[in-house]
Amino acid sequence: MFRLLVEKELKNIIQSPKFLATFLTCSFLILLSIGIGINEYFNMMEQYNTAKNLAKTEMAQARSWMALSAKAFREPDPMQIFSAGVNYDIGRYSIVHERQDSKLQNSVYSDDPIFAVFRYMDFTFIVTVVFSLFAILFTYNTVNGERENGTMRLVFSNAIPRSTFISAKFVGSWLGLVIPLLVPILVGLLLLVVFKVPLSAAHWIKIIMLISTSVLYLTFFIAFGILISAVTKYSSVSFMILLVSWITLVFIIPRIGVMTASQFISVPTVAELESQKDSFSKARWEKHYGEIEKVWRARNAEMNGMSEADRQSYREENEYKWFEEDDKVRNEVQKEITEYSSKLSDDVRNRKATLENLALNISRISPASSFQLAAMNLSTSDINLKNRYEKEIQNFRQTFSTFTQKKQKESGGQAGMFRISIDSQSGVKISSGRDESSLNLREVPKFTQPSHTISQAVVPTIIDIGLMMFFTLFSFGGAFFSFNKYDLR
Amino acid sequence: MNTILNEKKEFPMLEAVNLTKKYEDGLLALDDVNFKVHQGEIYAMLGGNGAGKTTTINIFLNLIEPTSGETKINGIVTHQQPLEAKKHVSFVSENVMLYPEFTALQNLDFFTRLGGKTNLTKDDYRQVLLRVGLQEDAHSKKLKGFSKGMRQKCGIAIAILKNSPTILLDEPTSGLDPKAGLEFMTLLDELRDEGKSILMSTHDIFRAKEIANTIGIMNNGKLVMQRSKAELENADLEKLYVEYMAGYMEEVA
Ligand SMILES: Nc1ncnc2c1ncn2[C@@H]1O[C@H](COP(=O)(O)OP(=O)(O)OP(=O)(O)O)[C@@H](O)[C@H]1O
Ligand SMILES: [Mg+2]
Repeated sequence: MFRLLVEKELKNIIQSPKFLATFLTCSFLILLSIGIGINEYFNMMEQYNTAKNLAKTEMAQARSWMALSAKAFREPDPMQIFSAGVNYDIGRYSIVHERQDSKLQNSVYSDDPIFAVFRYMDFTFIVTVVFSLFAILFTYNTVNGERENGTMRLVFSNAIPRSTFISAKFVGSWLGLVIPLLVPILVGLLLLVVFKVPLSAAHWIKIIMLISTSVLYLTFFIAFGILISAVTKYSSVSFMILLVSWITLVFIIPRIGVMTASQFISVPTVAELESQKDSFSKARWEKHYGEIEKVWRARNAEMNGMSEADRQSYREENEYKWFEEDDKVRNEVQKEITEYSSKLSDDVRNRKATLENLALNISRISPASSFQLAAMNLSTSDINLKNRYEKEIQNFRQTFSTFTQKKQKESGGQAGMFRISIDSQSGVKISSGRDESSLNLREVPKFTQPSHTISQAVVPTIIDIGLMMFFTLFSFGGAFFSFNKYDLR
Repeated sequence: MNTILNEKKEFPMLEAVNLTKKYEDGLLALDDVNFKVHQGEIYAMLGGNGAGKTTTINIFLNLIEPTSGETKINGIVTHQQPLEAKKHVSFVSENVMLYPEFTALQNLDFFTRLGGKTNLTKDDYRQVLLRVGLQEDAHSKKLKGFSKGMRQKCGIAIAILKNSPTILLDEPTSGLDPKAGLEFMTLLDELRDEGKSILMSTHDIFRAKEIANTIGIMNNGKLVMQRSKAELENADLEKLYVEYMAGYMEEVA
């Protein structure tokens, strides 16, 4: 009995005239998105390699260890084919220098604003918008339509339990919508293989999880469509309700989430942060100058009562030691300032993250948000991508600085006198000690991409997948419950 | 099912007992209605629009619950054991509606299986469709192009295929052309001879008199007259109908 009803539901969907048109449109869009994604990935990969080589040449032209700077590049991940996420919003490289804060710059959008228009044409977008619409189009009248048609009375003149009927509706619709949509998805995966997109086992696991999550998302909308169709008498009413819900869930709530999040993000502005850092640095240096003055006064005091010639020789005797001492203190001050500023950045980053999470949690009342967040996490194009890179680049900067400082010492580029004016950028250039014809770059540490394990990608999706499951079960339960009381005439 | 043919059952196959239905809006659609349909009998319900005929049938099918009283199919109280009761009944509505995207054969196949008959072939379906008068070339056409009469024939075919001991017909001949109407009456006669118990509502007084074993007239939810074929032999049913409908007379059935 159940099977018969499921078969009927399936046939009903597949034989309906709207099915072929919708199915072909969906298939086309899925394949298009994956095609564009593959193309974009290879483009970015090419740019990445070119830029990396260019940076190598630039480094080779450096004349001193002090002036040496590196660039850390963000390597494109093939998962961006499925979900671009923040991939195009955040910068693709950062300059790494001892005395310069590292920041990702030159995002795809900043280079090529027209690209922003196409940002949503990724697989995740197609699923979010088109799959949900597809589900609604085929379920809005699944229950009340049978009442309107008059077939419901005939069906229920037979010994059919209502629970069997509504469950079969769900299973039949599910099979009738999910299986056809899996076809273009599988063809899309074939494209990945044909175009030799470099995919590791971890990538495949993520892809399979992403597809399962897409199916879950589609399942939610099927259940939701059935629910609305089972609480309304007329299909025109259920269609209106579903259309409004669809717009709200797919477009409005996720955007409200992002908007709220970006509101929070703008609270501590970059300018505020910079001025805070500046004023600390200024105060610290002033304090330092005061102390240095005292030190020099003390040094002068030591020479009280000496003859001019004695003074001269005493000075010459101690000059180098004094400079060394000053240099050491100066370095400590610089270190203190750097630490303070990175702590400040960290604080702001954490605060941002907390608020961002809050806003995102609010938006999770819509499964469309949950789906997008899960897809971004699985595709490692999530909102933490920037932080991961900046953290890794920060670490690299430390390694890099330690290395260049060591090299500076070795090559005798002390030149402490010049480094007094170190806090201005041009000063760095002037202080470049003595000329060296070329540097041996072989030992320069290399930037490694931040590691992101499968579990790091999967764990954050658990809450979103859980929420989608909850909403799906809730919708189905609601449909089940309300159909039990449904007026069958 | 053949046992039905052999031994006639003592209790009525279809029965309404003190059946009362008050809709949510307070309308008393059925007021203490009682009748019985025995095996191999046809009971015709007459009555004007809004008399309560469809309401009665809906209660038999458990599509709505009675306010008080009960309906029984094969002795089973429908609102208490609806699934058990519905195994023994088939139904043709006044406006048969089937799945528009399915062909006549597909619709027949679905509803016959739903009715519990899983061993029938396409040939069986075709045979029954021909028996109810649906031309061969329409069998494989989608239902969405069917006229009301064609749909009605499919509905009757489904009821025949289910082969249940009782059949509920709500104005089954509405929409049938005169020839089809006549054929349908013959068909009902055959079904009764097979031992089916048939409850039908109709506006066709003459056909009712011709075929029914018992006739009941309903007015405003009350069964105002109920007579057997023999009792009506020499009466002018039309005159009686008009008189009862006008409320001149009332007799407790
Ligand atoms: N869901 C409902 N809610 C309230 N009143 C209803 C409902 N369904 C039917 N009725 C009323 O119950 C009464 C009986 O209706 P019913 O459909 O049983 O009449 P009928 O004898 O089948 O009429 P017809 O010959 O026109 O088919 C009518 O007055 C009708 O308006
Ligand atoms: Mg009626």
